[in-house]
Amino acid sequence: MLQHLNTTSVKPQRVVILGASGFIAKNLAERLTKKGINFISISSREVNLLDSGSAEQLKQILKSGDSLVITSALTPDKGKDVATLMKNLTMAQHIASAIEATDLHQMIYISSDAVYPNSASPIRETSPREAADLYSLMHIAREQIFQTVAGSKKTPLCIFCPSAIYGTGDTHNSYGPNRFLRSAIQDKKITLFGNGEEMRDHIHIDDVVSLLVLCLGHRSHGTLNAVTGQALSFHDVATKIAESLGSGIAIECNPRSSLVTHRHFDATERIKAYPEFVPRSIDKS
Amino acid sequence: MIAFIGLSHLGLVYSAATAAHGFRVLCFDPNPEIGRQIQQGQLPVEESGLSDLFTQHAANIEFSSDLERLRQCELVFYSLDVATDRDNQSDLAPLTQLVQHTSSHLPHDATVVLLSQVPPGYTRSLAADIQRPLASVFYQVETLVFGIAVERAMRPERYIIGCVEPAAPLSPAYARWLHAFDCPLLPMRYESAELAKIAINCFLVSSVSTTNMLAEVCEQTGAAWCEIAPALRLDKRIGPHAYLQPGLGIAGGNLERDLVTIKSLAAENGTEAGIVDSWLVSSRYRRDWALRKVFDLVLSKNSSPRIAIWGLAYKKDTHSVKNSPSVFLARALASVEKTCYDPQVKSLASPIPNLSFSSSAIEACSGADALLVMTPWAEFAQVHLTSIRETMRGQILIDPFGIFQEADCIAAGLSRHTLGS
Repeated sequence: MLQHLNTTSVKPQRVVILGASGFIAKNLAERLTKKGINFISISSREVNLLDSGSAEQLKQILKSGDSLVITSALTPDKGKDVATLMKNLTMAQHIASAIEATDLHQMIYISSDAVYPNSASPIRETSPREAADLYSLMHIAREQIFQTVAGSKKTPLCIFCPSAIYGTGDTHNSYGPNRFLRSAIQDKKITLFGNGEEMRDHIHIDDVVSLLVLCLGHRSHGTLNAVTGQALSFHDVATKIAESLGSGIAIECNPRSSLVTHRHFDATERIKAYPEFVPRSIDKS
Repeated sequence: MIAFIGLSHLGLVYSAATAAHGFRVLCFDPNPEIGRQIQQGQLPVEESGLSDLFTQHAANIEFSSDLERLRQCELVFYSLDVATDRDNQSDLAPLTQLVQHTSSHLPHDATVVLLSQVPPGYTRSLAADIQRPLASVFYQVETLVFGIAVERAMRPERYIIGCVEPAAPLSPAYARWLHAFDCPLLPMRYESAELAKIAINCFLVSSVSTTNMLAEVCEQTGAAWCEIAPALRLDKRIGPHAYLQPGLGIAGGNLERDLVTIKSLAAENGTEAGIVDSWLVSSRYRRDWALRKVFDLVLSKNSSPRIAIWGLAYKKDTHSVKNSPSVFLARALASVEKTCYDPQVKSLASPIPNLSFSSSAIEACSGADALLVMTPWAEFAQVHLTSIRETMRGQILIDPFGIFQEADCIAAGLSRHTLGS
């Protein structure tokens, strides 16, 4: 359950974003600039969190009263093996070490909906976490690491779990709206696994950023699933993209190699936390 | 004379029903003010028919806080409702204190019957504490339902009686009282009777949860639960009185208390009770049905919405707001302008921002973008739909319990949204 320390939104003193070159970080930086919120965004070029000296570097950068947004992670496209897991945990260890030395105003950890197993019922913030692979295990372990250090420092921590993010500028090419759009533009076709029956919750990057800004302003703590609450099948997404580009886009269905799984999210906690926030529909995106 | 010690809802309903069956009743409570107020016609609880019953049988009822009066009672019921906290855990301390305060004043040969809602093991330990022969101490399961408690007390389906020795004859005084109600008697050991009450509530919750889950499937698939439910009622394995009305989860405190108790027992004994967690998750999810509806239909389209709420009580015919879905809704919509009306609930112990109270149902609708009927009070169904539409700014009617007919709503220009279809 998400709780607010600020009943009404208050501009943070300074936001520090880790993982500056990532999709979420870039968009968050743009929004903070537009809103006139003081921030710095740190990429691995400035502070390589895999380096043993990175904790010390971060300690020098972080100031008392900062709001820290942790987006840094090696995503599955960078590797799904044990070595990648250990690198991600090392990064978390260095961040945690720096946090221990600083009195932060708030921490937001960008986790993932991968921490939740597939379920016939809607997934919600109280759903048990379960590692299906090393990537989800990494996020579960990092959540625990940051909860431990935030607890010891009494720093408000928001665990922020977005569903499948789409939008212009996505650096990943995972199965979903972004890949469908690229493929439709380049190859005039969209290829689906099976008939694309799987239902998924797709959230636009602008909505993810809006929720992060609300979370910063309200100094929210707890867990928030950044979801629309409206699941669509991949086939529906592909059809909408094809229709938006006019005629001549083929939707091809390949034989499926795995069972159909669906993921629906219950957005009730998001509605309670931010009733003024309205996610955009994929049609408008 | 028969004494009822503890004048909360349970004690008042049973003492009135007992008087109505021709017995002389002593209503005892350490607080003399309660008796005085009742004698002046001010009942501390809202229960349909209870006030009339007290009036009609006043000649058989005496109120007292004098411990010495208990010495004349051959049959004594402990009838204090056991309150629950925010986590739905029972607070047994007031009941235990009441027993300790009074038990030494009971006649040595009196029969003692515990009516209060207690967990398995409580009656046996209590009997030992008050140093009375176990054969004279009984536990009787109460299955009253707020709103129809008088009816259920006057014409019970059965009596479940916890005894130290189920095969032994009941005391003459207790047997006389039981037989006056002319229903099946089921003597069993203390722990069985205590667990029987919890078992009944678990089955009710199971029905409620199953109904709500299937009702939501109906909402998504184009089926109508109101068409399916009659078919289930004719199935002997389900029955005509099964809980098949879709609702907003479990509320009121009693069912929740028993779920907490059964989870605690399961944890102590290593029993698999994951199903109870599922019921609780299902209940919370369904409780927020109206919130999700009002978000989709109003909040997502209107930056300064105004909401009318009919009903704050957790169900009709009661003043209780314990775990009320309506109160949860109002609290979740703290930043939204809300006007509410409830026939019984005129204020809340913990105020909710931007919530005002109206003096009538129709007044609450003034300028509202949506009306939410959160408690199906009978008087709400009497309000003319055209008046509602004319008073409101918008046309959204969120009517979870379906107190209005869809065709009538359409004719009045209202867009109705209900559970199960």
